[in-house]
Amino acid sequence: MFCDDVANLDASERSRYADLLVLIAAADGELVREEIQVLEGLMGRAMVHPEARTSIRKGLHDPHRLSNLLKNAEVQTLRFVLRDGALLAAADGDYDKREVKILKQIAKKAEISNDELKQVFDWVSQGWEWHQTASSVLDLTAFEQNTPE
Amino acid sequence: MLPDTLHKLPRDERFAYARLLAYMARVDDEITVDELAMFEQRIGTALLSPNQRDQLRRALKNPPTLEECLEGLGPESGRLALRDALLMATADGSIDGDEFDVLQEISDHLGLAENAVTELIEWAKKGYGWMEEGVELLNTLQNG
Repeated sequence: MFCDDVANLDASERSRYADLLVLIAAADGELVREEIQVLEGLMGRAMVHPEARTSIRKGLHDPHRLSNLLKNAEVQTLRFVLRDGALLAAADGDYDKREVKILKQIAKKAEISNDELKQVFDWVSQGWEWHQTASSVLDLTAFEQNTPE
Repeated sequence: MLPDTLHKLPRDERFAYARLLAYMARVDDEITVDELAMFEQRIGTALLSPNQRDQLRRALKNPPTLEECLEGLGPESGRLALRDALLMATADGSIDGDEFDVLQEISDHLGLAENAVTELIEWAKKGYGWMEEGVELLNTLQNG
């Protein structure tokens, strides 16, 4: 929804970013449309090349190994993944423990504590609340979703 | 980026929604990288086919008229398009006069309250504040 430096990462780091998001999306073994929607949006914002996206989507059914993706990853990339992965994991309304487990492993690699990760989750909740206030201005009837827990 | 109801709309309305964003991106005759990234994000969120995405990217070079864009929009898709057109217009930091006029025209077409665009601008500012907090949070973690 908003732009930032994700699109300025090297192409290889943007692919890694997207592959890690795919891993998070696929973690609970169930892909819902809300998750795919957020994932596609994040890949678009990162300006991942359309052909690269095709190959990255295959990971939804045949995910990479987390350890391989974390190897040699830039810390900045991992921090973007944590922020946007938390948004993605919340897409279906709650955090699955398998999604949280992956986020914690990424956080460890990025040298981020669980308390700090909690701050990211809080930030996600605030974003959900902000986003839903548009419904009162626009009278969007189908716009009722609970803040993730 | 945040979950939306866009995916619940019929595919032709999602396409019309994205065409309006393509129109909006060209209102001031230049597309910044931020606008392009946001456009790519929104067409990703709209879950359109690769073929439709290509059509929309071409529409950035040769945008449809506003009337053509509005024709395909229903009440819900129109409101979402207005909301996201406004976010796109603010992607480069400000809304210029031409962009505001277009947003007002869309709002009038949808029959929204006179102050809807102004209220949405306030809403967008809060959203940018939230995003900024996210960036600051990442910076804090980076320095920690």
